[in-house]
Amino acid sequence: MSDKKKKKNAYISVLKDFGISLIILAAATIAGYLFKLGGLTDSNIIMLYIIAVLVISILTSKIYYCLGSSIVGVLVFNYLFTYPEFSFSAHDAGYPVTFLTMFITALIAGTLANKLKRNTLIAEQNAREKEEAALLAQNEQLRANMLRTISHDLRTPLTSISGNASTLISGGTALDETARQQIYTDIFSESMWLIEMVENLLYATRIEDGRMQLNISVEILDDIVQEAVRHTERTHPKRNIIVDMYDEIIPVMADANLIVQVIVNLMDNAVKYSDEDSDVTVSVHLENEYAVISVSDHGTGISDEEKEKVFDMFYTGGSRSSDSRRSLGLGLALCRSIITSHSGSVYVSDNIPNGTIVSFTLPIGEVDLNE
Amino acid sequence: MNEFLVLVVEDDKPIRNLITTTLKMNDYRFITAVKGNEAIMLSASHKPDIIILDLGLPDIDGVEVIEHIRTWSDVPIIIVSARSEDRDKITALDKGADDYLTKPFSVDELLARLRVIQRRLMKSENISVTEFVNGRLRIDYVSGCVHLDDEELHLTPIEYRLLCLLAKNVGKVLTHKYIIQSLWGTPADNSEASLRVFMATLRKKLSDSSQALIQTHIGIGYRMMKL
Repeated sequence: MSDKKKKKNAYISVLKDFGISLIILAAATIAGYLFKLGGLTDSNIIMLYIIAVLVISILTSKIYYCLGSSIVGVLVFNYLFTYPEFSFSAHDAGYPVTFLTMFITALIAGTLANKLKRNTLIAEQNAREKEEAALLAQNEQLRANMLRTISHDLRTPLTSISGNASTLISGGTALDETARQQIYTDIFSESMWLIEMVENLLYATRIEDGRMQLNISVEILDDIVQEAVRHTERTHPKRNIIVDMYDEIIPVMADANLIVQVIVNLMDNAVKYSDEDSDVTVSVHLENEYAVISVSDHGTGISDEEKEKVFDMFYTGGSRSSDSRRSLGLGLALCRSIITSHSGSVYVSDNIPNGTIVSFTLPIGEVDLNE
Repeated sequence: MNEFLVLVVEDDKPIRNLITTTLKMNDYRFITAVKGNEAIMLSASHKPDIIILDLGLPDIDGVEVIEHIRTWSDVPIIIVSARSEDRDKITALDKGADDYLTKPFSVDELLARLRVIQRRLMKSENISVTEFVNGRLRIDYVSGCVHLDDEELHLTPIEYRLLCLLAKNVGKVLTHKYIIQSLWGTPADNSEASLRVFMATLRKKLSDSSQALIQTHIGIGYRMMKL
C-alpha cells in the first residue's frame, strides 16, 4: 500500500517537474520571439534561455531537468532564432561555438542553483535535528534530575527504617515501651511514605517523550472520586473529608487509575498543608462540556506569585514546608501532565476566608447505551 | 481458636512471614506453600477453607494453580499481586479467584478480605433459591421483585439482571468481562461504558452512593458485599 503510494507520488513529482520545465522554456521562447520582433540581438535571447535554465534548476528536484533544459534551450534557439530559421542547420561559422558556450553556461548556472538549493535543505534539516537533540537532552536532563532527587529522597526513609529495625533487633528489650512504640510508628510512617512515593513514580514512568501513555475510556466520575476518597481516608484516618457530589451521573473521558492518582495527590496536599482538625472538601460541578473537580482546604493558602510555580517539577514551596522531604514536588507536576494529556486544565484559587482550592477539568463523555 | 484453615502460597519469605504472623495473631490456623505444585497438593490433602495465593510463583503460574484447584474445589481464593500485574489479576479473577490484594497491602486490608469471605461462607449455608436477603436489600427471584427495606424498587430488566448476577456472586469480585458476557453474551464496543452507566443508575436506586453494598474496583470490575 505505502509502496504503491510512494510510486504514485514519485510519478506525480516527475510530471510536475517536467511541466514546470516545459512552461518555463516556452515562456523564454515567447519572450525571445518578442525580443526578436523588437530587434534585439541574439545574445539577449541566449541570456533569456540561461535564466530559464536557472529558474528550472531552482524549481525542479533533479539535476536532469537542468541538463535537459540546457540542451532543449540550445536546440530551440538554433531552430527558431538562427538563420536559416525553422531548421537545425546554422550558416554562420560562429554558431557552433555560441551553442556550446550557451550550453555550458546554462549547465553551470543550473548546477550551481541546484547545489544552492540542496545546501539550504540540508541546513534546514540540520537545524531541525539540532532542535530535536536539544529537546531530547532536556528530557534527559529532567529524567536525570528526577532520578537524583528521587534516589536522595528514597535514601532518607530507608535509612530510618533499616536503622530503626536494627535497633529493635539488637537491643529491643533495653528500650522502654514508649521508645519502642515511637520506633514502630516511625518505621510505619516512613514506609507508608515510600509506598506513596513509589506509586507516583510508577505513574511518572508512563510519561514518555513528555507525553503520557493513556488508557482513556468512558468512566463514571463518582466511581473515580469515591476511590480517591477511600484511599485518602485510609492514609489519613483522622481527617474529616467532605464529599460534595453532583446529583446526576457524570460520564467522563478518563484514564481512571491516573485520575484517581491525581485526586489522591491533591487531597494529600490539602491534608498536608492544613490543620489537623480542619475539613478537606472534594466537590464536583459542571461547566459547559467539562466536569470540574475541586479539592479545597482551610490551610494557609498559596500566594499569587507561587500559584503558577507550584506546578513546576520539584518545586516544594521553599520556605513554607519545613519538612520538604515529605513533599517531593513531583505531585502537582505529575497531576498537571496527567490532566493536560486528558485535554483538561488545572488551576489554583483561594478558598474564602482562608485556604487553597485546586481544581481541574475533564471532558464529559458520551455513552450510547447497550440495552 | 478460629476454625478456618488458611493455605498461604507465597515464595517471598518476608511477605509470607507477614501474612502468617497476622494470621497467628488473629487466631487463624494456617499451612504454607512456597511453590504452585505444592499448593495444589496441600489444597487437595488438607482441604483449606481459604487460599491466599501469590501470582508470581517460582515453578508454575498462579493462574495455573487456580485452574487446577477449580477442577475439583470452590474454595475461596484471594490472590496477591503487584500493581504492574493488573492484567494477570483480571485473568486470575476470570479463572475463578474470588478476591485480590495488591502489593503493598496493609495487614488490616488482609484481615478485612478474610472476614468478607468468612462471612460469606458462614451465611451461604442457609442460602435460599427463591429469595436473596442482604442488609436492607431483598430480591424475590420468583416474582422478580426487589425491595429496599419495605419499599419496592423499580429496576429496568438489565438493572435487575445485573443485580441478580452480583447477588449470586456476593463477596466475589466480578470482572467487567465476566459481567458483560453474562449480560449481553457477545461484547460490543460500548459494553463497558454501558455497564458503568447501568451500575451507576442501579447504585442510585439502591441509595448506595457510598458503595457500601456494591464496590467499584477501578479497572477490574464490581463486587457486592455481604452486609
